[in-house]
Amino acid sequence: MKYLNFLIIIIIVFNSNFLNAQEQKLKNEITKNLRCLVCQGQSVYDSDTEFANSLKILVERKLDEGLSEKQIYDFFKEKYGEWILYDPQFNKSTYFLWLLPVLMFLLGGAIIFKLFIKKKN
Amino acid sequence: MASLIGYYSLVFGLCASLLIVFFCIKNFQNSLIFDNKVLTFTFLQLFFVIISFLGLIISFINSDFSNETVFNHSHTTKPLFYKISGTWGNHEGSLLLWLLVLTLFIFLFLLKSKDQSKKYRILTLLFQQIIIIGFFIFLIQTSNPFNYIFPVPSEGLGLNPILQDPALAIHPPILYLGYVGSSIIFSSTLAATALNYVSVDWAKHIKFWILTSWIFLTLGILLGSIWAYYELGWGGFWFWDPVENVSLMPWLALTTLLHCVLILEKKNLLSSWTIILSISTFTLSMCGTFLVRSGILNSVHTFANDPERGLFILIFLFSLIFLSLIIFFFFHKQDKKKYNFFWLSKETSIVVNNWFMMYFLTVVLIGTTYPIFLEVLTSEKISVGPPFYNKLIIPFLIPFLFAMAIGPKLKWIKSDIKDKFYLILFLIISLLLSAFIIKNLNINFLLNTVLVTSAFYLFFITTRDFFSKGLKNLSQNIAHFGFSLLILSILLNNIFSSEVITNLKVGETLQLDKTQIKFESIEKKNINNYAAVIGKFQVRDKDGNTQILNPELRIYNQPNIVTSEADIKTNLFTDKFMTMNLVQNQDYFNIRYQIKPFMIWIWISVLLISFAGLTSLLKKKNYEN
Repeated sequence: MKYLNFLIIIIIVFNSNFLNAQEQKLKNEITKNLRCLVCQGQSVYDSDTEFANSLKILVERKLDEGLSEKQIYDFFKEKYGEWILYDPQFNKSTYFLWLLPVLMFLLGGAIIFKLFIKKKN
Repeated sequence: MASLIGYYSLVFGLCASLLIVFFCIKNFQNSLIFDNKVLTFTFLQLFFVIISFLGLIISFINSDFSNETVFNHSHTTKPLFYKISGTWGNHEGSLLLWLLVLTLFIFLFLLKSKDQSKKYRILTLLFQQIIIIGFFIFLIQTSNPFNYIFPVPSEGLGLNPILQDPALAIHPPILYLGYVGSSIIFSSTLAATALNYVSVDWAKHIKFWILTSWIFLTLGILLGSIWAYYELGWGGFWFWDPVENVSLMPWLALTTLLHCVLILEKKNLLSSWTIILSISTFTLSMCGTFLVRSGILNSVHTFANDPERGLFILIFLFSLIFLSLIIFFFFHKQDKKKYNFFWLSKETSIVVNNWFMMYFLTVVLIGTTYPIFLEVLTSEKISVGPPFYNKLIIPFLIPFLFAMAIGPKLKWIKSDIKDKFYLILFLIISLLLSAFIIKNLNINFLLNTVLVTSAFYLFFITTRDFFSKGLKNLSQNIAHFGFSLLILSILLNNIFSSEVITNLKVGETLQLDKTQIKFESIEKKNINNYAAVIGKFQVRDKDGNTQILNPELRIYNQPNIVTSEADIKTNLFTDKFMTMNLVQNQDYFNIRYQIKPFMIWIWISVLLISFAGLTSLLKKKNYEN
């Protein structure tokens, strides 16, 4: 464990300053959307735990390997489950999550239209 | 000793409740005038709860570790201020505060409602007593703040250091005044419904309580947000964290209610909708308490984790909802009035406001609770974070802002749009200005331009209204102006924020094309309950201006936790925000330096919004006199 820490630190120290700005920005973007699994409701970006730091490095490495943003999310989803993604994907179990608010909005609009506007005409 | 008095005061308070209920029922049936005994007992109840609360505060001040709550959440080396604020920085104490606000508000309500009918006042008191009794039992049964431990420990476990902060010390009381204050809206709505008194007069009377809760809730959320900004050290101010969301939901409901009650006041319409909103507001507050206290949520704020407590609140919550539904369906007489207004009118614009507010509320509600339900039903765990809320809320914000600009200009029943020249002129100016700001930035041009345009539009229109309308509708205009300022600052802050993350050791300098950060020195200090490591950094921007920033690491003794204190240099245009963190076993420190434009305007705009509520309250007073 100690060696691992040491390794991680070395990597952080030597890596972080050489990243180009664009990649740094994308890395921040991605780590903001990953949940730090050992924290209470913090993103990987916001956290300074060992877990979060090692994930930051992992994201960097994946970016260096040339993976796209979506591929990286898929990689983490595969590894840790969907719990780690702050941006829930649109699939069978999240249809309701994404659509229900919009449906409610349409329903509200329909009620307003029926009650107030149509009656008048 | 103080604990003992505190505990028995609670028991006496509960007894007072029973007496109040007894006299209320007697008074309701028999007499024509309001029985002053009821008022006396309500005061007595408030008095007992205050004594109990003081008892807990004194136990905290004296570090009386024979009290379990004090033992768990205090320490002798803690500064006096945080010993006191520790009283409500924990589950038991914060519930006692709930109870204090519940009893305080009903007492104030009775004092302020002398011109109302006897039956209405008594029924309101009765419904409020149901809530109060529920909380008394909850407190005494499952979360007694005065539990005794023997043998008496010599030292306490201490308060979580991130709660040791001035903003957070006053955040709970202010937030609770709003949160729990909505209970009085709930009780009086049920009373008014049962007596078929939901009318113009009632709307005028209840508006005071809606505004009061709303102002405190707004300020409470603001304080929490400011605290999160400088204390959590992430540089953000809103995280869509579930616990933040549960305070936002009652706020959204309350804001909707505030607009809806205007139609009831002026046109005697939408009474059912007003009732539903009033009930929802308090229900959402209770839901929030349930979600936070049951420990279901995974959040930074969770400090209680006990299924028994969660279950109690859940059952209590469902009984209250059930009670309100019964009263609503059996007593409420639907208004059969025709909705007699033209599509372009103030009524429509307020209904549109309600429509959008309800949508925002739905998004937050579903986003917060959906993961819980999904996990229970399918044991699948998902996270719903900022991207979800951004995607669903931002597109709807655009028409909402436009409606906010135009709506207040309309008249009741039927209206034309006047001042077409100015409306179009300001639209063009906003559009050009936004396009100019956005065009050279590497972000989505169309979405951002439209968004910033809508915010600028509201900003310009409300600014002009200060001059063209003068004192007419001043509170409304201040509130809308404040909201435009809020959205503008958030947008520009988001667009123009920049940051540098790096590792440095003492003496090193980081040279970037725009900034230079020099880690000059480090200093160690010992203060009462923590040891501080203070870094001295010299930051030079591209114009050659230098500034010294002193971020700090604090190693607290009890409990042993390291926190990182940001150093923030604020001016009117931008915040410079720096935190440092330890890199383990190394001489290096992890430095995060952020430049955040217009931060202070976010706080100022929210203050303006609550100030608008205050002016509305004061104006109402002048009306009555």
